[in-house]
Amino acid sequence: MIRFTSKKGRTFLIVGMTLLFATTLYGFAFASGGGGAAESHDQMLNLFYRILNFTLLVIILVVIVKKTSMLRFFGERREEIKEKLEALTKERQAAEIRSRELEKKLEEFEIQKKEILEQFRAEGAKEKARIISEARERASQLISQADHTIEREILGATERLKQEVVEMAALRAEEIITQGIKDSDQDHLVNEFIKSVEKLH
Amino acid sequence: MTGSKISKRYAKALLSLGQEDGNYAEYGENLKEFAGLCADNPEFSKVIGNPVFSVDDRKKVLNAVLEKSSFAGYVKNLLRLLLDQNRIGGIEDVSANYTRLTDEISNIIRADIITARPLKDEAMDKLDAVLAKITSKAVKTNVKEDESLIGGLVVKIGDLVLDGSVRAQLEGLKESLKRGEYN
Repeated sequence: MIRFTSKKGRTFLIVGMTLLFATTLYGFAFASGGGGAAESHDQMLNLFYRILNFTLLVIILVVIVKKTSMLRFFGERREEIKEKLEALTKERQAAEIRSRELEKKLEEFEIQKKEILEQFRAEGAKEKARIISEARERASQLISQADHTIEREILGATERLKQEVVEMAALRAEEIITQGIKDSDQDHLVNEFIKSVEKLH
Repeated sequence: MTGSKISKRYAKALLSLGQEDGNYAEYGENLKEFAGLCADNPEFSKVIGNPVFSVDDRKKVLNAVLEKSSFAGYVKNLLRLLLDQNRIGGIEDVSANYTRLTDEISNIIRADIITARPLKDEAMDKLDAVLAKITSKAVKTNVKEDESLIGGLVVKIGDLVLDGSVRAQLEGLKESLKRGEYN
């Protein structure tokens, strides 16, 4: 197999092959004709021009194709698309991996959520028990204080009542003594007083 | 008079003069008389003690009174001095201090006796005797009546108070009952 190291060589080969193919076709056509010489000469010339025309067309096409880099453009485009496809494939794979990771994290979050909720419920129950306990203790203290206050009030009232009774009794005693005291009582009191003063000495 | 210390100083001064001439008892009586005059005539007391009037005017009023009195010369001079010094208003204090000082010299003690009813002479003598005994001094008593004591009597000698009244006994009983000592 023949290998060309450059695009130019490959182009010349294509042009050469085309000319050879056209010449061969012209030979077959001329051999099968067998008519008059002048007519055949005109026909040959006509054919030659056609071949030449075709060859020129092919050359022009080849040159145009070469000059406009159509092949290279399509080749590069194909490579680009291929690369993009590969990149997209990689991205899709990465996205799938990321998706799986996120799903895993979501599952972990769900587990954590349940744990946190459980913890909050436990703490709430504990706090509730503490508040109830404190409230009971406070209620007990209030009842105790109220009992003491009642006791004090009763004692105070009793004491006030006693004082009032004493005051009234003293007042009544004073009235009775004032009404009943006599000169002899005064003499007796004075004598007792003198005796008691004598004892001081 | 701004203080009893000052009035005591005036009283001492007069007493020393009285002791020299032996008339301290008379001077005491003069002071008492003048203090009584001031107490009985507040208008007179206000005039001679009011610094709004000049000293000369006030002295004229005082001299007019003193000329009609039989007060000793030293006493008159003391009263004029008190007026000059704007201390005439404290004459009662001076008199009281003078009496206290003369009592000390004479070994006399004064006792206020407050009684619910009049005391009999016999009881009064006994009381004088017993008070003289406990104070070791001659006792001059001043007796007042106060029915609110109900019965008995109260004796005050300086800061010493001897309460033998029915009211005091009733108060004591009342306090004992309040303290619950008879429960």
